[in-house]
Amino acid sequence: MTAAATVPGIGRPRLGKALPGTVWALLLLTPAFVSLASVSFYPIVNGLYLSLTNTSLITQENEFSGFSNYVQLWGDAQFWNAWWHTMWFTFASTVLETVIGLGMALILCEAFKGRGLVRAAMLVPWAMPTVVTSKMFGWLFDGQNGIINYILLHAGLIDQNVNWYGSPDTAMTTIIIADVWKTTPFMALLLLTGLQTVPNSLIEAARMDGAKGWITFWYIRLPLLMPTLLIAGLFRALDAFRVFDLVYVLTGGGPADSTETLSTLSYKVLFSTLQFGYGSAVSTAMFVTEGIIALAFCLYLIRQIRRAQ
Amino acid sequence: MTDTKKGPVSGSKPVAHVTVADRRQFLVGSAGLLGAATLGLGTGLGVRRARAQSRAEISFASAAFFGKETFGDLIKAFNESQDRVLVKNIELPPPSSSTEVYQGLVQQLARRTGTPDVFSQDVIWIAGFASAGWALPLDEYFPADKRSAYFSGTLNACTYDGKLTALPWFMDSGMFYYRKDVLEKHGGKVPENWADMATIAAAAQKAGDVDFGYLWQGKQAEVLVCDAVEIITSNNGAILAPDGKSALINQKAAVDAIQFLHDTINGTKISPQDVLSWDEEPSRQPFTSGKAMFMRNWSYVYPIAQDAKASQVVDKVGVAPLPAFPGGKSSACLGGYQLGVNANSKQREAAIELLTWLSSTETQHRIALNFGLAPTRPALFQDEKIKTEQPFMASLEKVFTGATARPITPEYAKVTLALQSGISKALVSGNVQAEMDALAAQIDQIVG
Repeated sequence: MTAAATVPGIGRPRLGKALPGTVWALLLLTPAFVSLASVSFYPIVNGLYLSLTNTSLITQENEFSGFSNYVQLWGDAQFWNAWWHTMWFTFASTVLETVIGLGMALILCEAFKGRGLVRAAMLVPWAMPTVVTSKMFGWLFDGQNGIINYILLHAGLIDQNVNWYGSPDTAMTTIIIADVWKTTPFMALLLLTGLQTVPNSLIEAARMDGAKGWITFWYIRLPLLMPTLLIAGLFRALDAFRVFDLVYVLTGGGPADSTETLSTLSYKVLFSTLQFGYGSAVSTAMFVTEGIIALAFCLYLIRQIRRAQ
Repeated sequence: MTDTKKGPVSGSKPVAHVTVADRRQFLVGSAGLLGAATLGLGTGLGVRRARAQSRAEISFASAAFFGKETFGDLIKAFNESQDRVLVKNIELPPPSSSTEVYQGLVQQLARRTGTPDVFSQDVIWIAGFASAGWALPLDEYFPADKRSAYFSGTLNACTYDGKLTALPWFMDSGMFYYRKDVLEKHGGKVPENWADMATIAAAAQKAGDVDFGYLWQGKQAEVLVCDAVEIITSNNGAILAPDGKSALINQKAAVDAIQFLHDTINGTKISPQDVLSWDEEPSRQPFTSGKAMFMRNWSYVYPIAQDAKASQVVDKVGVAPLPAFPGGKSSACLGGYQLGVNANSKQREAAIELLTWLSSTETQHRIALNFGLAPTRPALFQDEKIKTEQPFMASLEKVFTGATARPITPEYAKVTLALQSGISKALVSGNVQAEMDALAAQIDQIVG
């Protein structure tokens, strides 16, 4: 770049001749690579390194300790407890959001009066900060004065107030409901764009052959939507896996650790007890699990695409 | 980890926020630079150095409390009161963001550069800072005869490994709130033991005077540890052995105490299921709206209960020490911020001078009146001005006498997470002995 700057105008063609195409391309890629490496690659590597040390701000230790953190992690009941909760949360919220989101997308795909307005209004939950959503659901599902208890009680579905966040049987489910409410619109939006790429001519042809709505959906729309569905599911699963705000605001991981997730656990280990070494090991385990989830999705996606061909 | 709910519960603030005293110093500095630009380099720098030589410059870091004034104003008053020491105030986030305050302090102290020279710390951090060697032992500056002016529970919390490593500043503690009007109907005597409390609470609930007999905080959070410390200590039990090297939480005294808490929900039914997900505020709301008979909470509730805009129980609320078990003594979990000196401070004498001034009778008096934070010197509770302006605070002397520290161990951050999880499990499942055994094993591993 400096060479080009010192010989303006005529510098460029000459330089292009002096450097082969690939070098020139690499040169142009360097700024992007350097910035990505510094904000993305370096922290990952540093996190990996920290996870192999016993670094703690409190004890002032900072030595290489090999895999001892991972050995400890393997036997840490609290970690596995959080791991299972996170997996359950990811699975349940992704499946629910995909199914409901697909339903919403199918409705929004049809032409009806005020569709533009509905499409915009639908995105409101998603645009809200999660902390606000959390507080709102805290009040909705409040054990004493919550509207949900009020409605269920008066509809005769329950015979006494349910303590949604105070009982290990319901706390996680309530958090999943909050997440589904918040993120389903996002799924619906992604799937709507997918639906719009399905050629109308195919649907019309099916109708000419006498296919009813359900058959059209099952044999034409759904197979063509599959790649979008999988990619949207992947996005959502990876995002759901790092759930933090909802849990942090609503339950803090309780009662009896029943809503502890990997993000809240690593936050506690990293920033409350300041054990950077062990905390990094928890984060790395999260990273690895997410990698496996992504890999599974991708393999399935590739198989689907191959089969379609 | 917040115990002292003063100041707005707002979002994050910059960790080191520059305040009045500092801004003035900045102006002096820029004036110096301006001088250098116009009159020549020598004069500008010369002025600055002369100033630095005449006064020892130190820094003071504290969580930000608000009232009629700020800690910045307090430091300004100290700077104006003498000409030997010039203090720069480093404002940390408010105490409601206690984890951020902790991180901010640890990061600065771990650098061992001597900044900040003086700091304030939540009682639960004292042992950790002392064992890391960041807090200067204060024994030679504050011998035994000077210490007797403070509450003994607070002094105990300020002592680690036999050394005084923090100086008491201001405090809060758990206390027992009751409804005077409802109590009149049920005997009129404030219960002094837990069984009486449960009987009265159940009677009031049955008579339909209140919806809930007794409210406490069972959310898996720091406050659960506070509630546990109080009830366990009031049964002559303890969480850790006196040497801090082993757990006693699976002993009979502690197990019975936790069992009592479990029974308030499932046995005597004087507490709603909801306490398991409540921390301070959710438990305060039903009380101040007149739905509850008794409550355990911090001192911040009283002004709210007396505020007609927010409360249905104005002038109907009384405060007393928490009940105890037969043979035990009432106990109140200690909270509040205490003072410390950085062991790496290069201006030790100046730091001690600031410390002495901040904890002095006069300054504690001023803090009590202007911030509403209770003094750690029992004598101040007899002060006429405090009695008239803060009558509620003046009535707390008896409560504070029973102030008990949470487990004193440098590993407190790990111990408290284990306690929160273990006690929450016991309360939810009801298998108190089994959960306490598991918890004790876990704590032994952390502190042993």
